[in-house]
Amino acid sequence: MKNSIRELRDAHNMSQEELAAKLEVSRQTVHAIETDKYDPMLPLAFRIAKVFGMSIEDVFQHERKKR
Amino acid sequence: MESKDSKSGVGRSYNGLISAILFVLSYLIARIVLKQPDLAEILRILVALLPVVPFAWLLWEIIRGVREMDELEKRIQLEALAVAFPLTLILLMTLGLLEIAIKLPAEDLSYRHVWAMLPTFYFLGLFLSKRRYQ
Repeated sequence: MKNSIRELRDAHNMSQEELAAKLEVSRQTVHAIETDKYDPMLPLAFRIAKVFGMSIEDVFQHERKKR
Repeated sequence: MESKDSKSGVGRSYNGLISAILFVLSYLIARIVLKQPDLAEILRILVALLPVVPFAWLLWEIIRGVREMDELEKRIQLEALAVAFPLTLILLMTLGLLEIAIKLPAEDLSYRHVWAMLPTFYFLGLFLSKRRYQ
C-alpha cells in the first residue's frame, strides 16, 4: 500500500515526532508507515486521515506490495 | 507534545530496571547463602526461590509494557517471539535427542544454562524484526 503521509506532513509543516504524538504511536511507527515498510491497521489509518482532514482513500492508495 | 516513545516508557523502564537489579541481587544472595551446607531444607528451598519474586515482577512490567505498545511495536514483539520460540524448540529437541544417544554434561546443560537461551533468541529476533522496519 502506498501513502502520501510524507507529502501531507510536509504540507502541514509537521515533524514525524509531532505526527506520532497526535496519533499516539511511536516515531518509528510513523517512519515505517511513511516508507511503506508497514501498513497500518484500519483504526490507525482512519486516525491518520483524520489528522490531515482527508479520507483514507486520499491518504492511502492500494498497490501490490513486493515483500 | 510528547510522543508515545517518551510518554509511557520512562516509568515502565524505571520499574523494569529496579526489578532487574533486585533479581540479580537476590540471585547472587541466594547463591552465596546456598553454599552453607548446614541450612535446613525448607530454608534452602525458600532461599533458592527468592529470585523468582523480582523476576516475576520484571515479567509483569514487560507484559504491561507490551500492552502499552502501539501496533507496530506489538508486531515487532510478535515477530521476535516467532523467532525465539521455534529456535528454543529446536534447541530443546536437539538436547533431548542427544540425551537419548549420549550422556550430556549435566552441569553445562542444566536448566540454569538452557533457559538463558530463550531471552538470547528473543533478543536476536527483536534485532532482526526491528531492523526490518527501520
